[in-house]
Amino acid sequence: MAVNLKRSSGGQGSVKVSRRRMLGWLSGVGLVGSGVLSAISNFVFIKPRATYGQPQRFSIGKPEDYPSGTRMALDARRICVVREGNKLAAVSTTCTHLGCIVGISDTGYACPCHGSRFDQDGNVTGGPAPRPLPWYKVTLAPNGELEVDKDIEIQPGSYLTL
Amino acid sequence: MRLALAIGTFLILVIHGIVFYNQFFHKWERNQIAYFDQAKAMAKTDAERAALADRKPRIEQIVVSNFGETRIDRCTTCHIAADDPRFGTYAEPLKSHPYSVALGDTQKDGKWERRHKFSEFGCTICHDGQGRGLDPKYAHGEDEYWPDPMLGYTVQENWRKDFAPKLKGKEYMEANCAQCHTDPNFKGTPMVAKGRQLFFTSNCYGCHRIQGLSDGTIGPDLTDVGHKWKLDYLWARIADPKSVLATSIMPKFNLDDASIKALVVFLKSRKGRNFSETELQRFKDKTSGAGVVQSVLQPVEIKPGEMVKQGEKLISDRACVACHKLGDKDGGIAPDISFTGLLRDNDWVYEHFRAPRSRVADSIMPAFRFTDDEFKAMTAYLAGLRTPPAMPTPEATYKALCLRCHGEKGDGHGPIAEHLDPYPRDLTKSGFMNSKTMERLVNSIRNGVAGTSMPPWGKILDEAKAKALLDYIQTTFVKEPRRELKPHPVPEQNPVAMSTESVNRGEALFVNRCAGCHGKKADGKGANSLDILPRPRNLRNGAFVNSVSDQRLFDSILYGVQGTAMPNWVDYGLSNNDVGDLVNFIRSINPKPKGGEHAGSN
Repeated sequence: MAVNLKRSSGGQGSVKVSRRRMLGWLSGVGLVGSGVLSAISNFVFIKPRATYGQPQRFSIGKPEDYPSGTRMALDARRICVVREGNKLAAVSTTCTHLGCIVGISDTGYACPCHGSRFDQDGNVTGGPAPRPLPWYKVTLAPNGELEVDKDIEIQPGSYLTL
Repeated sequence: MRLALAIGTFLILVIHGIVFYNQFFHKWERNQIAYFDQAKAMAKTDAERAALADRKPRIEQIVVSNFGETRIDRCTTCHIAADDPRFGTYAEPLKSHPYSVALGDTQKDGKWERRHKFSEFGCTICHDGQGRGLDPKYAHGEDEYWPDPMLGYTVQENWRKDFAPKLKGKEYMEANCAQCHTDPNFKGTPMVAKGRQLFFTSNCYGCHRIQGLSDGTIGPDLTDVGHKWKLDYLWARIADPKSVLATSIMPKFNLDDASIKALVVFLKSRKGRNFSETELQRFKDKTSGAGVVQSVLQPVEIKPGEMVKQGEKLISDRACVACHKLGDKDGGIAPDISFTGLLRDNDWVYEHFRAPRSRVADSIMPAFRFTDDEFKAMTAYLAGLRTPPAMPTPEATYKALCLRCHGEKGDGHGPIAEHLDPYPRDLTKSGFMNSKTMERLVNSIRNGVAGTSMPPWGKILDEAKAKALLDYIQTTFVKEPRRELKPHPVPEQNPVAMSTESVNRGEALFVNRCAGCHGKKADGKGANSLDILPRPRNLRNGAFVNSVSDQRLFDSILYGVQGTAMPNWVDYGLSNNDVGDLVNFIRSINPKPKGGEHAGSN
């Protein structure tokens, strides 16, 4: 606005124009601003902030529940808890092909639907699966329980050290 | 014009901005960021700090499907530190939920472990409130339309101001504990246990039904009362029943606040369904019913020497004066029992206790579940109440004895009249009063009217006093002088012998002529009965029918009852024989009196 006023501070007639201009600017900014805000709101609105499914971040109990050498599948949560020594990780058990629950096999994971096979780290060793099984972030919560956050995928092979 | 447009669009922009801010920048986000910052400052390892740095504000929710319908609790979105023991001393909402041995939490090596893990139980299962709410006002249930405000914490705006402060306190949450911990003696729910005890000792069970606990029929069923009503309603309903519903006939029990609180907690815990109940338990509850009453009430052992004393204690402990008047305590619903010993004999009182309707056919008094010995003790106490009230003048007599039912104006609308059936006689109706002989009226006072709430006053009022009282009534209420009565030509005894044919003829006549008012069942509830006051007589009231002579029945039927809707049937063509059949029919539908015949057959 200030620029506007400065530029149009020439003659007497131009004061009128500048006022008109300023009002024009004001209206324009108002309209465009409202439009932009509504557009952004609409885009933000499209993505739900919460869904009615089980939460993505959940507690899986205490580290003592998983002794060393454990590979325990929690089917309801669709993860497999792996512990080796004092290292612990959570690997997804949802097949990257069509979403079946993969089972634990001697060599890693095996999907019962279309025969995809994964090794212990979740890398594809056979079958139609296009991607390796993701690993999820595990943290030790302040109340001493392990928390898995399925929203955060981490590099396969990175364990939580207890 | 341009100026207006400019200002207008600018205003729209501002409003848009405010809406945008409100919709996308939440208080809970700021809470979560504050929590992350605090937790980062407390973190001991780099990994912990890194994990916290990864976290962004978002809606946290716990989905609980183990207890009935699925609950979605987003409370931890704001109360994000609820399960972080380091935040024990912080202010809400960043305060960790306290640990407590009473909740079953255990301490091991200085670390607490919860018995009820939030991830399994959620929050609203104990606290109530609106689990999905993200705005504190709605989440806590402060909105007056939310049915379950947080128990013991949240007071809704429209709640009565004098009750609202009493509805706070964590004891109220015991109502939700009892949803799973149904054992009546569970240590964690003392208020529920106390309320349950009160429900029985205050005789609530006599009128109210709770499935599996009691089977009263006078008041509303309370099986799922906790599901239907909020704390303030329950409190008001007990503390001051008429304030909620002006036509309520529930007595005011005058309980202290602690007792009302216990009852409210107990009632709030009656939700009609329990998460922990199995189908088998539910079936058992449905079929057990009355047995529970005896087991909760624990009968008093009556010692022969102390019957009167124990009876007195029972009567004062079990809320009898919530309805009756006894001494200076007055419930304002049922008759005065301060001098029962002068009115009724022991047998009458005892039988009336056991089954009130065996003595007063349409009594609303429930049959309470005392043991026989307790009934006998209470009878012994009442029989000993033989002090008549002071009544120097007929006016004082009327006020002391009659006013409670017949009313200050003598019109039958006394304070307790609406609870009596038959309704007290309207003494201002000169048509009735002047058409009955003095002898009959004195008889009604001195010997009472069997099968109704009119007791025999004979031991308090001798013949002279009864006559003086009638004179007072005559001048004060009836106001018209009595005239000479001509006796009607009616047979002294029923000329038609009792036989099946006679009863059948009587029944046919009854259905044709009488059922419109007296009802098809002869219970006085015919189609026209509601328009008529006094109401048609219930002819199934055995005690009454047996106390009335054939002569009086003939008189009432043939020549009507003045001051009531009963017409002169002699004008409508009924002969003595027809009336004889009718009388036989009426006698036949009532049980014969014990050890003899009805009053008419002597």
